Amino acid sequence: MAAAAISQDGRLGVVGTGDGTVLGLELETGRELFRSKAHAGGVLGIAISPDSAQFATCGQEPNAKIWRATGQLVCDLPGGGAAWVEHVAWAPSGGQIATAAGRKARLWNADGAPLLETEPLESTVSGLCFRSDGTALAAIGYGAVHVWPLVPGAKPRRFEWKGSLISLAWSPDAKVIACGSQDGSVHFWRLASGRDSEMSGYPFKPKALAWDSESKLLATGGDATATVWDFRGKGPEGTQPIQLKAHKSVCTRLAFSPRKIVLASGAQDGSVLLWEPRRSTRPIRYAFLEDEVAALVWHPDHCGLLGGDAHGTLRFWETG
Amino acid sequence: MKKIPVTVLTGFLGSGKTTLLNRILTENHGKRIAVIENEFGEIGIDHALVINADEEVFEMNNGCICCTVRGDLIRILGNLMKRRDKFDHILVETTGMADPGPVAQTFFVDEDLRELFVLDGIVTLVDAKHIQLHLEDSSECKEQIAFADVLILNKTDLVTEAELEALERRVSGMNSMARVLRARNADVPIPAVLDVGGFDLERAVAIKPAFLSPEYPFEWAGTFEVEEGRYELMLEDGPDPTMAFITMYLDGNELASSEGAAERALRLWSEQALALAPSSSFDIGADRPISLRLDAQDTKRFSACAPKAGRIGFYTQHLPAEFQLRLLRGLVVKTPLAEHEFAVGHSHDDQVTSVGLHLEGEIDGDRLSTWISGLLREKGTDIFRMKGILNLKGLSKRYVFQGVHMLFDGREDRPWGTSSRTNDLVFIGKNLDRAALTQGFKRCRV
Repeated sequence: MAAAAISQDGRLGVVGTGDGTVLGLELETGRELFRSKAHAGGVLGIAISPDSAQFATCGQEPNAKIWRATGQLVCDLPGGGAAWVEHVAWAPSGGQIATAAGRKARLWNADGAPLLETEPLESTVSGLCFRSDGTALAAIGYGAVHVWPLVPGAKPRRFEWKGSLISLAWSPDAKVIACGSQDGSVHFWRLASGRDSEMSGYPFKPKALAWDSESKLLATGGDATATVWDFRGKGPEGTQPIQLKAHKSVCTRLAFSPRKIVLASGAQDGSVLLWEPRRSTRPIRYAFLEDEVAALVWHPDHCGLLGGDAHGTLRFWETG
Repeated sequence: MKKIPVTVLTGFLGSGKTTLLNRILTENHGKRIAVIENEFGEIGIDHALVINADEEVFEMNNGCICCTVRGDLIRILGNLMKRRDKFDHILVETTGMADPGPVAQTFFVDEDLRELFVLDGIVTLVDAKHIQLHLEDSSECKEQIAFADVLILNKTDLVTEAELEALERRVSGMNSMARVLRARNADVPIPAVLDVGGFDLERAVAIKPAFLSPEYPFEWAGTFEVEEGRYELMLEDGPDPTMAFITMYLDGNELASSEGAAERALRLWSEQALALAPSSSFDIGADRPISLRLDAQDTKRFSACAPKAGRIGFYTQHLPAEFQLRLLRGLVVKTPLAEHEFAVGHSHDDQVTSVGLHLEGEIDGDRLSTWISGLLREKGTDIFRMKGILNLKGLSKRYVFQGVHMLFDGREDRPWGTSSRTNDLVFIGKNLDRAALTQGFKRCRV
């Protein structure tokens, strides 16, 4: 298990594995809908279109791919000479797909026609994210966050930070871009003012980042503790974060429910916990996978949580 | 879970990296190897995965430690570990111009890599014919030699035996910890490069004699038979204002160059030296080194007294020929029964050298820690690698440690057993001050 996604209509789960296979699952029954050897090496990313009709995958090979929700290949998206396409994202507005390979990000329409190719960045793109309304695309690497507008008239922006950015999460209200840095810090930028802040002191690099649906809480994982920053009022600068301590090993995945302020966290030892960080710093429910948690995805209606581990176990828990 | 070994291959363009890589890939049937290289070469082997890397080096600031790491390696190796088809070995090839430091540091600094991989060794290929040129004008070339666990002198058929020996002495002087292999067409035994254990302290300890042997502070040893009575030592003008030496009685048929005798001499060498002006006298077999003052013009004479008859080892800091040193009994110049020249680190004028220190007694952990941290803060960029096996006060086991630039890790090892409880420390770096390092280390003694 390397990556997973759930369609907006809540019916389809798409799972990618370490050997390059992509599986389609009917979530309600767990029935396998399709299975294809999508990539020569392991799958690295999956993104489903908002209308649930198509999805895109990328992996350890030079091309990304677009598929129909039924599992038929639509077309290849070439990586432009890079060995791997490492990231893929589908615009929440529907019509566009972004891929990142090497130092460039590329934009395609839903049929796979190329729309745009960025200039090479200073370093390899290590994260990719659309603005929640689909009007801009952000990419990170060493030294900066780049934001390219996808509507006429707006200018590209660049937010510098001398460090290797390794994770990226753009708040649903589009106001804040948060990044984890290799040097054990979380950095964020408020887009309106361009003002940035650094939350340092993580013992390990914060690979997992998650915003709640109201853009008020940012959950970050750098070690066994899930650290939640509250953006209400003047925060989180100068405030103490909410520290969620129960995992016994490094927290590898974080996901907020799209409907409620419930956080799911998964750790290296396979433990999965649910939290209501505003109410309590003790977990409200727990479950287990067999190995390091590699994916945690909420059902769009908050009725379930899909979790997969590095060993290949996949579980769908009802939460509604 | 067993960690996956990583071998780093360095060397200048034309040194034979690709040849060696191809040999490893074709001869290691059954092993799944992932090769991370800077550019795609002419390699197409079924069981190997070749990944193109971009050598993205960046600076990381973690607390008070600043170091450079390879961002692309963190990303690529992290992604590889998500695959089902796990690898048995990873090979990282660097460009000829690359400094191996960031690669090594990456495996110390990144927590994910540290957990899943172990840096087995840095293998540096040296073009025996053209290396002299690069050594003069390239700091990368020196760094590649200094960082190596294994140095392969390649294309030996293009140079004479004498040139090869000189080269071997020179690179050993720069890096006394590395194992030096000779090859014509990168034809070295594969286990010698894939199973090095260079960052494995257990192994560093196991190969202790090799870890120490090229590190004697004396260049020459002569074995003499002496009778009880007076002798005279005569020296002419030479290149240095002082020269240290040791005389020591040997057992039975022992030669001064034998490992046991040389080790004993090495221990005596760490004692405070007695400074001696011309016309003074000394006892043969006294338990300390003697430093002769040689700044006067013309012939310098010292008288020596042998308290008993027997076989002695005479160890000199520099070659006796440089000062026309001779030992006389009356008017007769004694000829040694045997003599031996040691390869030493400090006799070259290279900026990059190894300094090996040996100390008897117990080391105070706090003092050591203060000294090492201060040293790394000041000279961390100049110290490429270090390794040590120490007898720490209050510890029943040996304490082993190693470092790359400012990063280091140390831990308790196994019990001393029957081996003698002493302290050995080796630094490899640029502009190392042997005297200051020796002094600093000595101050750590309990």
